[in-house]
Amino acid sequence: MMVRALFLILMCLIPAWALAQNGPLRIEITEGVIEPLPVAIPDLVLEGGAAGDLGQRIARVVAEDLTGTGLFREIPSSAFISQVSDFAAPVQYADWKAINAQALVAGAVSVNGDQISVKFRLYDVFSGAELGEGLQLAGTTDGWRRIAHKMADVVYSRITGETGYFDSRVVFVSETGPKDSRRKRLAVMDYDGANVQYLTGSEDIVLAPRFSVAGDRVLYTSYETGFPRIYVLDVGSVQRRVLESQQGTMSFAPRFAPNGQTVVYSLTQGANTDIWAMNVASGQSQRLTSTPAIETAPSFSPDGGQIVFESDRSGTQQLYVMPAGGGEARRISFGEGRYGTPVWSPRGDLIAFTKQSKGRFHIGVMRTDGSEERLLTASFLDEGPTWSPNGRVIMFARETQGAAGRSTLYSVDITGRNLRPVRTPDGGSDPSWGPLQR
Amino acid sequence: MNTGQVISGIGHAGLIGWMLFGGSFQSEPLPFEVTEVSVISSDAFEAMLPSGSVPDPSVDVALPVEPEVTPDPVETPVPDEAVEVEPPEPTPAPEPEVVPEPPAPDPEPEVVDDAPVQPAPQDQAVVVPEVAPRPIPRPSERVAPDPVAPPEPEAAPDDVQQDAVTESETGETQVEEQEATAPEEATTEIVTEAEEPASAPTASLRPPARRPSPPVQTAEPAPEPETPSTPTAEPADTTDDVNDALREALGGAEEEVPQGPPLSAGEKDALRVAVSNCWNVGSLSSDALQTTVVVTVDMSQDGKPVVPSIRLASSSGGSQAAAQQAFEAARRAIIRCTRDGYDLPAEKYGQWQEIEMTFNPERMRIK
Repeated sequence: MMVRALFLILMCLIPAWALAQNGPLRIEITEGVIEPLPVAIPDLVLEGGAAGDLGQRIARVVAEDLTGTGLFREIPSSAFISQVSDFAAPVQYADWKAINAQALVAGAVSVNGDQISVKFRLYDVFSGAELGEGLQLAGTTDGWRRIAHKMADVVYSRITGETGYFDSRVVFVSETGPKDSRRKRLAVMDYDGANVQYLTGSEDIVLAPRFSVAGDRVLYTSYETGFPRIYVLDVGSVQRRVLESQQGTMSFAPRFAPNGQTVVYSLTQGANTDIWAMNVASGQSQRLTSTPAIETAPSFSPDGGQIVFESDRSGTQQLYVMPAGGGEARRISFGEGRYGTPVWSPRGDLIAFTKQSKGRFHIGVMRTDGSEERLLTASFLDEGPTWSPNGRVIMFARETQGAAGRSTLYSVDITGRNLRPVRTPDGGSDPSWGPLQR
Repeated sequence: MNTGQVISGIGHAGLIGWMLFGGSFQSEPLPFEVTEVSVISSDAFEAMLPSGSVPDPSVDVALPVEPEVTPDPVETPVPDEAVEVEPPEPTPAPEPEVVPEPPAPDPEPEVVDDAPVQPAPQDQAVVVPEVAPRPIPRPSERVAPDPVAPPEPEAAPDDVQQDAVTESETGETQVEEQEATAPEEATTEIVTEAEEPASAPTASLRPPARRPSPPVQTAEPAPEPETPSTPTAEPADTTDDVNDALREALGGAEEEVPQGPPLSAGEKDALRVAVSNCWNVGSLSSDALQTTVVVTVDMSQDGKPVVPSIRLASSSGGSQAAAQQAFEAARRAIIRCTRDGYDLPAEKYGQWQEIEMTFNPERMRIK
């Protein structure tokens, strides 16, 4: 009897078990790979005018932009099985699959006088379909690099889902000469170090230039009068004016608020340094901190509601966050060493900083509450981080040791990968990354 | 019947009896072994003691004996508080031999010191995992799927390609490009060679078995005798559209899908690993890395996904744009590593005809 009962129970369970197996097979994938995406970028097809080697040069800039992120790997043209000789011709997906190209950028360029027109399409090779719609860009032949950067921005954006940062500029301090007699002047360049233009002469020491959110103005500190004073420079006209400051004080470390109307900076009166805010138009200033400690390097959050700054009020140099209008500040850095030059990410999720610990300097990032601190670099001297417009990359200055030491700009991904120097004609320090150009 | 029961009863009784007797016999050899061992060891040990007459090591030997006797509550306060407490201890101690060993307090603090030494290796163990957690497993994962790929030894298809090129004009340059490019780019791209041979033999083998079925559905009486004749004629004509014919044939044979038992854990893991190795999240935005997508795909019987059927079933954790990016990465993963078809058991096709894959990038997230 017992055996029969067990048999009947099993017979009842089997259909239920079989029903449970109906429907699709379900699997969960939690482990992937992190590797550069192979992308093919053949030279742009020449469709008219005296384009010369413009198609090749544009393709090279696009390739350098993409591979420079560390997220893409360019497939050399020598590996191509088929060539893109006609922009309108259908893509031979099998040929690009064969060389493992996961994305294909095919474009064409035409020149009419000093005007240039570029059109391109992005293909997802393995899906056998176009990724997004084709796009056409127009400009002057002198601005071909910007067109290439914009092409790369579109490709980057469509594949990664993030906005690009290639069509952006960086203001920095260009440095020449030995350490003991170094000459400094303000300069602005493309994000990749091309098209360097100087904004000031090298007669006076200049420090800490900072782009406005719109990228049309630059704040910087100059020792022109012997004391540090803050200037506002219009990038287009290269006209400048000094921000009003109290007699007998030193002002430095300025930075624009997101609204572009307010500037926060450090003001030293006697032996005390505090953070102040000033309306650029009216010159009206407001004191934000009032402690006997040295407080400097303020930086706004993207929404303009908070300010992160450095202070030694606890005895060591640490990072604090306070409301934009001043008030009680909370300490966010508690690690070993000294923290300085905090900069809020454009995304608002991270704060980059310089850290000095055990005789070495680091560039690091942490959450806005101080958690998940992560050091990205380590060297004899790394300092002055600045964020790319999309908050994915950090640029900073690295100085080498010794009397012949040289300061060079570097960039690194927020993951700590892809550390690489920025090619500038001279040395560079104090970079400030501007917004994406329009 | 009776004799059988009797025989079995006798057998069982004998067995039970043997078990009882066997147990009683085993008691004899025990005392022998115990006495011999104890006598030998004690003599040898006593002989050794006078030769090594140093009293100090004996103190060390006595240490483990002490805690067994009594002094646990007494010993712990002794080193901490003072030496004055020790005089009263020897009086209550039942063993006079243990008492004359006052040097015991000296080694005791050593025991206390040993305890704090243990956490030291714990600190070291904490530091180690921070060194290099990630990079090691990935290269191995990349290597894993490749050995499965059979196309490597298939050098013969190269000759086929060359013949085809020579038939057309300007064969020299084309042949040179193919030979130079394929090996340069990547080992996984040997699939180029795999695609052509895979399409020819697999297509020619399978259609004869299944093509008879579609005509049966369209016209029941006549096509059945005709079908054996049509496959003989078709191979000569159809050389280009073999894949299309395959798709149609497979679609019409849905009723004959072999169900088989459910996939084993190993078979599921093999599929999971195959897709994982092509799931590249390196180019995804941090927002997309917060997004889990569920992708469904229909599979053909040769283990290849039907690309148009790949669709996003659901997503969670990110914006719609991020979900789209995550879905495209998942779609690339499904398509990339399936040039030869996934290694799935054909007899269980019904179990994996439709697959629902959940791509959860939690572990791959950029923190």
